[in-house]
Order: sequence, then structure tokens, then C-alpha cells
Amino acid sequence: MRRRGIWIGLSLAALTAVLLFVLAKGFGRDPHEVPFQLRGKPAPDFTLKRLDTGAPVKLSDLKGKPLVLNFWASWCGPCKVEHPVVTMAARRFGHEVQFYGVVFEDSEENARAFAGPPDPTFPQLLDERSRMAVDYGVTGVPETYFIDAQGIIRDKVAFPIDPRTMMEKLAALRQPAGPVSEVVR
Amino acid sequence: MKALVLGLVLAAYAPQQAGSTPLDPQREARVQALGKQLRCPMCQGLSIADSNASAARAQMDKVRELVAAGRTDEQIRGYFTSRYGEWALLEPEASGMNLLVWFLPLLLLMGGGYAIARTVRRRPASALPAPAPEPEAEKAREPGQAPPDDPWLEAVRAELRR
Repeated sequence: MRRRGIWIGLSLAALTAVLLFVLAKGFGRDPHEVPFQLRGKPAPDFTLKRLDTGAPVKLSDLKGKPLVLNFWASWCGPCKVEHPVVTMAARRFGHEVQFYGVVFEDSEENARAFAGPPDPTFPQLLDERSRMAVDYGVTGVPETYFIDAQGIIRDKVAFPIDPRTMMEKLAALRQPAGPVSEVVR
Repeated sequence: MKALVLGLVLAAYAPQQAGSTPLDPQREARVQALGKQLRCPMCQGLSIADSNASAARAQMDKVRELVAAGRTDEQIRGYFTSRYGEWALLEPEASGMNLLVWFLPLLLLMGGGYAIARTVRRRPASALPAPAPEPEAEKAREPGQAPPDDPWLEAVRAELRR
């Protein structure tokens, strides 16, 4: 009888421990942080219009050279702080990495005013109705994606990128890629 | 207050776009039902069907596009979980590790209830003081027969004898 009681007590303690573990895991993470599942997976294909020339740009045409995609909007305050960082990185590393900006939920007119004169090292793309942003799992702006020469998403920065983080991510982008995950449709 | 008014006047906003054209009533009902299950990434605990955020509208457009393309509900939920993980679902699916979240509280409740019931059932016997041993005379007495040395009973008997 006493032995049975010990077993019941131990079982309850084990169940409580598992429940506490699950709850600690749940409460331990930032509720505002949206998980990102596309790391290590092929970047979804897109065809977008360039803001300056109107020419279509396809992801498949950009393969062979690492790519940095920066999602922004003129109504986004932090994007104003971040934009010069990406522009400077594009001018400095544009010969080895491609930089593209993607206008998110904005009017063409506002985007033109924000982007300023066309910059060949950092062209801007128009994502009408944010179809491409949803395919990429964008949760807001600014967000910056790092895609390697094989078209694999290596990383994402979901905050206004600073020069140091940009340098670190660009350095990591030059490293050889790990095993490729399943294709995302 | 001044800062708030200035902010509201000067701040820039995301230009609002209307959602894509609704499908026929039957398929649109599916779109709305699926939208109610998916979490808006820019809001606090709101579904994409209930949110006015631009990102939510874009996701509703995607749901509509996938429904129109003939994808099943499971495939559409899978599209969002492959990008945002289980976080995208307002109600996590009852499978795999999630089963723990669904059934552990129930198991604990049952276990706790059993432990309480067991303790309560056992306590009265052990908590009450043990009854004093009955004298031999008491044991021999017929039921309903008063004890021989009861002074009140003796007084009543004496009164009757008179």
C-alpha cells in the first residue's frame, strides 16, 4: 500500500516536472519574436519590378552571387535609420554581394521620395500587395535576408541592422553552406 | 499630449490597401475560417481575419490565392507553419509534443483528485480518537436495556413501585 503511494507520488512529480518544462519553454521566449523557419531553405522565387526602370527582376537571374534583400517602407521610422547602413554596405561590397531593397506596403510615390536618386549598387524592387513578402515570411519592416550564391536563405535580421551586424552577416554569407533543407513551396 | 497630437499629425502611415477580390460565398467562407485560425504577425493575439494590419491583409490575400488554387486547409496551414512555425496557428495542433500541453493538465488534475480523495477517505479513521474499550457488562446487555447502575432509571423504577 505504502509502495503504491510512493509510485503515485513519483508519477505526479514527473508529470508536474514535464508540465513545468513545457511552460518554462513557452514563457521563456519573447512573445513578440516570430519564429523564422526558412533558414537553410531555398529562397522562394519572385519576379518583381524595379522602382527606377520598371524592368522585371527574377530571383533565378540573381543566382551565382550572394544576395542581400532588405525590406523597408517610407512610413517605417527605424527604416530611416537603417537605410544608410545598407546603402553604405552596398557601395562597399557591391562587387561581391548583390543588394536589393524591397518596398513593403507602400505607395510608389512615397517609396521614390524615400529612396532618393537611383543607386545602381542598391536597386529597389516593388512588391505589389506584398505577395513576395508573405512568401518570405516577413513579419514587419525593416527585415534583411541573407541569401547565398546557391539561393539558400542563410539568415534573417528582423531589426534595424547596424554596421557591425551587417559585417558579421556578410562574412558568414561567404562561408560554405551546410546541408540544404527541403524545398519550400 | 502635445507629443501625441504632433505624432499623429506628422507620422507617416502604411497606405491602406483593400483586400483582394472575395471568392464565391462558399470558398470565401473557407478563406475567412482559415484566416481566423492564423495569427497576425504584427498584432497581439489577433487572427489575420480580424486584424486591419497591412501584413494581415497581405496574408489574407495569400490564403485567398491558395484557396482559389485548390489547396486543402491542411496545405494552407502548412504554408504558414513552414514560414512562421506553429506560432502561426492561434490554436496549436493536438499532435506530437503539443499533446503534452493538451493532456498533461488533465492528467495532473486526475492524479491530484485521486490523491485528495485517497487522503480524505483515510483521514477520519486515523484522525478520530480511538473509542474506549467497552466493559464486559455493557457487552452482555440486551440492546435497549439500560445499564444497571443508571441512577435516573433507578429513580423512575422506584417511583413506579410506589
